[in-house]
Amino acid sequence: MINYHPSIEILTDYAAGSLPLAHSLCVSTHLERCQECQQQIRKLEMLGAHLFDRTHTDSRQLSNLKDSFFEKLNAQVEQKNESLSVEEEPVEIDWDNYVIPNSLRQFIKKSYDDLNWMRLSPSFKIATLYNEEGGAQIALTRVKAGAHMPTHTHTGDEITLVLEGAFSDESGVYRQGDFINRDASHKHKPIVTKDAECICLTVLDAPIEFTGWLTRLLNPLIRRYHPHSS
Amino acid sequence: MERAIEIEPDEQRLADMLAIAEHRDQAALVRLFDHYVPKVRAFCLAAQPGANLMADDIAQEVMIRIWNKAHTYKPESASLNTWVFTLARNARIDYLRKNSRHQSDIDPEYLWQNVVDENADPFKDAQQKRDQERIQQGLEKLPADQKQVLAKVYLEGKTHKEAAEELSLPLGTIKSRVRLALHKLTIYVKR
Repeated sequence: MINYHPSIEILTDYAAGSLPLAHSLCVSTHLERCQECQQQIRKLEMLGAHLFDRTHTDSRQLSNLKDSFFEKLNAQVEQKNESLSVEEEPVEIDWDNYVIPNSLRQFIKKSYDDLNWMRLSPSFKIATLYNEEGGAQIALTRVKAGAHMPTHTHTGDEITLVLEGAFSDESGVYRQGDFINRDASHKHKPIVTKDAECICLTVLDAPIEFTGWLTRLLNPLIRRYHPHSS
Repeated sequence: MERAIEIEPDEQRLADMLAIAEHRDQAALVRLFDHYVPKVRAFCLAAQPGANLMADDIAQEVMIRIWNKAHTYKPESASLNTWVFTLARNARIDYLRKNSRHQSDIDPEYLWQNVVDENADPFKDAQQKRDQERIQQGLEKLPADQKQVLAKVYLEGKTHKEAAEELSLPLGTIKSRVRLALHKLTIYVKR
């Protein structure tokens, strides 16, 4: 049962296509598991279609555009018809029986294990999927069962999406599919449940900062891997 | 009166889609081109006023996608307008990410693929028609300030935050206008 969903503002921006791609990635991953939000998106897209249908139709003469379009189309048709088939990627299951969400297939072909994991503590690993130029850092975190992440605050917004396992913090328990949006003011200390390891997708608009006296030593390292530092 | 005239072209367009999917009917594509290209161009120009070349590129891309993906369109899961809107939205996102200052390698094709696809179900079909009607009728009655914000978000491609900055209004006001509008259109029911 999914308890934490994206806000209606985030869903609206996603359906409208105005949400930044890194955030859209998290919404899309959530939607794969959440029927309720899928319904919401379906209606929000209907609204988009009505607004689209009412656009002030542009009156420019389009005959040139039309000619060149159909010329190109005919060239394409002659070239090859086989390119029309849709590419379907097989669903691959890794040996832990984790199914990679469709939205993440562009970064993870086979298994979470194939990623380049950086070990920050014996129980906590992080793998960067993509650093947007001047934008957000998209990463996976992987924490062992029962372990806790060092206490940290956010220096920007953070979206976390639980892919596997579960964790909890002062505000609640988060399970597979839950979408958690934290702002810069938030300071928390997540603990992973004892039954299984926890893998999360995280999008950070700015680096997180560890606040424990020892883990503070990790901050320069964390900052170095965030795109804002370069 | 007007409605009776509107229904027929809708059905014609559905028939055109089928003709494209089943026997690659170019005359059908010409009719869809005449109907949708001006809309797609207007949709792009709303986001980037004056960018005619971009609007042309995106409009052609949408028509290519209609041609290539006609067989994947399922009338029972989305109206044709909704389907074309999602194609236009995705093509615009794709164009902007490849051509803007902040290029991104995140491929939008992966991000919107699972939403529209739903299994055929007569119950859902009826539900979908009801939702369509509510949205269409509700939209007529919305106050101008709510319509304006929806247009900013959907047509101009602005986030809530950007809409607030542009209209010099607090973010909270924008949020509540959108929420009120969605509530009236029965799209949003508070959880």
